Amino acid sequence: MPKTLLKAVSGAVVLGALLALPRYVESPYALHMMILLFLSVSQGQSWNILGGYAGQHSVGHAAYFGVGAYTTMMLMHTWQIAPWFGVWFGMALVVVVALAIGSICFRLRGPYFVLASIAVAEILRLSAINLTTLTNGAEGILATDLPAFRIGGRVVTEFLTKVPFYYIGLVLALLTLAITYWVQHSKLGYFLQAIREDQDAAHSLGISISRYKNIALVISAVLTSLAGSFYGIYVGFVDPPTVLGLDVSVQIMLICIIGGMGTLWGPVLGALVLVPLSEALRSNLITEALVQVGLVSAESRVGLFLKENLAHAHVLLYGILVVLVILFMPEGLMGFVRKLASRRKREA
Amino acid sequence: MAILEIKHVSKFFGGLAANSDVSFEVEEGAIMGLIGPNGAGKTTLFNCITGYYPPSKGEIFFKGRRMNGLEPDRVCRLGMVRTWQKVRPLAKLSVVDNVMVGALARTSSLRIARERAMAQLEVVHLAHRAEALAGGLPIGERKKLEVARALATEPQLLLLDEVMGGLNPAESEEIIQLILDIKGRGLTQMVIEHDMKAIMRISDRIVVLNSGEKLTEGSPQEVVTNPDVISAYLGESHA
Amino acid sequence: MAVFMQSLISGILIGGVYALIGIGLTLIFGVMRVINFGHGDILMVGMYLTYLLFTYLGIDPFVSVLITFPLMFLFGGFLQKVFINRVLNAAAQNQILLTIGLGLIMSNTVMLIFTSDYKILSTSYSSATIQVGGGVSVSTPLLISFLITAGITAALYWFLLKTDTGQAIRATAQDREAAQLMGINVKRMSILAFGLGSALAGTAGALIAPTYYIFPQVGAVFTLKAFVITVLGGMGSVVGATLGGILIGITESMSAVYISSGWKDVVVFVLFLLVLLFRPSGLMGKSRT
Repeated sequence: MPKTLLKAVSGAVVLGALLALPRYVESPYALHMMILLFLSVSQGQSWNILGGYAGQHSVGHAAYFGVGAYTTMMLMHTWQIAPWFGVWFGMALVVVVALAIGSICFRLRGPYFVLASIAVAEILRLSAINLTTLTNGAEGILATDLPAFRIGGRVVTEFLTKVPFYYIGLVLALLTLAITYWVQHSKLGYFLQAIREDQDAAHSLGISISRYKNIALVISAVLTSLAGSFYGIYVGFVDPPTVLGLDVSVQIMLICIIGGMGTLWGPVLGALVLVPLSEALRSNLITEALVQVGLVSAESRVGLFLKENLAHAHVLLYGILVVLVILFMPEGLMGFVRKLASRRKREA
Repeated sequence: MAILEIKHVSKFFGGLAANSDVSFEVEEGAIMGLIGPNGAGKTTLFNCITGYYPPSKGEIFFKGRRMNGLEPDRVCRLGMVRTWQKVRPLAKLSVVDNVMVGALARTSSLRIARERAMAQLEVVHLAHRAEALAGGLPIGERKKLEVARALATEPQLLLLDEVMGGLNPAESEEIIQLILDIKGRGLTQMVIEHDMKAIMRISDRIVVLNSGEKLTEGSPQEVVTNPDVISAYLGESHA
Repeated sequence: MAVFMQSLISGILIGGVYALIGIGLTLIFGVMRVINFGHGDILMVGMYLTYLLFTYLGIDPFVSVLITFPLMFLFGGFLQKVFINRVLNAAAQNQILLTIGLGLIMSNTVMLIFTSDYKILSTSYSSATIQVGGGVSVSTPLLISFLITAGITAALYWFLLKTDTGQAIRATAQDREAAQLMGINVKRMSILAFGLGSALAGTAGALIAPTYYIFPQVGAVFTLKAFVITVLGGMGSVVGATLGGILIGITESMSAVYISSGWKDVVVFVLFLLVLLFRPSGLMGKSRT
């Protein structure tokens, strides 16, 4: 089958290019962008399993992201436990948190589920602010001195550049992609989609609703917590708003919605669109581009204003994108691509 | 032998009795018709039997096992499955994927589930639509899909809730043949239907419900000549 | 005892404003079955509007309600007509996401214009209090805002119960299809409901402007509080939202005094989860059989 072959070859080429990239690209900024991209892909893919496949639109995924990030950082900061050990504690804790949340939220449907998921995340955020002895409260935890990573006494990396983070991020993104692929091609995926499409019908066909929702939640939560741990050690700093805030939940969800929920490549597409766009805003590339083109003069009031404020308003872009996607592409970019493909097929 | 026993089942919503003190038995391999005017409590009874809500009073036995309080998924895996009056296709999945969901109740292998699903689609003459999106099917094909999906769970008792509703005569005839085919394979069926001609043709026995209570039970011939049944139906059409 | 009375009274007073926010949300939900996740951001817009009117035109925040109410009504009607209307029949998650998106646009546009600095609107009476006796004192701006709230709520009840339009709104809330069959212009009712809901949220924003910090992200807290209030009272119930608002006000002020002010929101959210679990139709609603 040439089509499968084509897919395999192009997959191998992309993977090879990604593996080789740090050898040829030395710019820390480019690597940083790639790391953010990997992080977004894994966040979006994790949410996808629960939100996209099982149709449970959690607006509280910051809870899992934050618990992962905080556990790893606290263990490293307070007890000097290296993150590659700490991350397991984070995942274990997240399983407990997820099952607790599941037992509360899955009794509720639709909007009530959404509300409950937000409330739980908010409780965790407020707790992180108030439990100052444990979490250092609103000040957050700063821990940038990563111990060297050794295997059998041999130092593998000392984390002096962004390259080791690049590879960790790549592995994380590939892992979430692989797990989503497995979910899609298994009984689990069929059952989750059945629950998404019609919970009562699924129930009548022998599917235990609470069991499968909880399985989806635990997979989704554990992967999100891994992404959170990775974020923590990469940035070296966590505080309540950046890892537990409502914005975080919305961003995680958005990657998936823009790309296309319940599809394997949707979150990848979503991350490919969102990360460069929001980075361009954050780093004032857009203002500079406007100045370059001559639309805005750098010294004019508008230019100065944009330069000063646009960087802070990348979330505005999220808002605009959500509204546009919901109104004009409710199936996300993947839906759009599919529509184009089927139109081409019909014309051919 | 009775495969299903309904014993003094009542279901109350607030103060309203949707079913009150309904009792009957369904013989293995037979087709039991369940009829009655609108609001007689037929679908409520189906919901009680299949675990969507527990009966307020009374007991339900399936193959001698007490079913009260079992969740619908358990009920299905024990061998009793229902279709929905208002069809519920898994709209964004393909036709064959819909049926596969049913087949996966009995196997974890997607390959086997797919084979069984295709076989059931052949049974309901829907194999040619296997790859179409379930949400885009016309009503006649949706009804067939419901039946195929339910059959894929390999039930011993199939509960059909108005599978002929909204169909044209040719389509209804196809469903009637399908129900008789299924009976030929030894499956027990319980059928809610409004089309009296159809129900008379297919049923071995008929239970008549009226305002939640069992009005009568008997062979199609007995039921159709029962004056109470006639007045219940006339009462409805005169109202 | 004085501490108890003190926190009870301030709880009731702030609860009145919460009721206003909750009623707005519940009206929108009742008529359209849409949960407005941008509700708090609409309130935030009301706060900034009040701030602008005060800073540039010197209009007292309580007087500015007369301007804020109609302006926010138009704003809400606009949101409904341009955005919400298109997703009325869409899946619930799409409606939720759309309103989240609109909320993000509002808060971040405001941030772009005013930066994320905290603004304070201080009037001559911002920290004034009235002694009630027994060592209990009442904050003057809170008292005034409570009185205005009570007035607006009374007017709203009158509007919903006694006028034709109000009855049409209630009929739409009860059964959209039946209302349509009876010749009620459901589209118009939806615009009215969203307009009214926004006007109430905006007014609540105006009323708390003298006592709260004003910043672009202030809305998120209020969106969540509005949910808690409406769920407590039973989604779609105006009376329920009124009582729910006051209950939340009291809970907050009591837990701030007896637990700690840092944990008061946690108490509210835990209460919210408990209600969702055990009385999903609300404290005042009928329980399901």
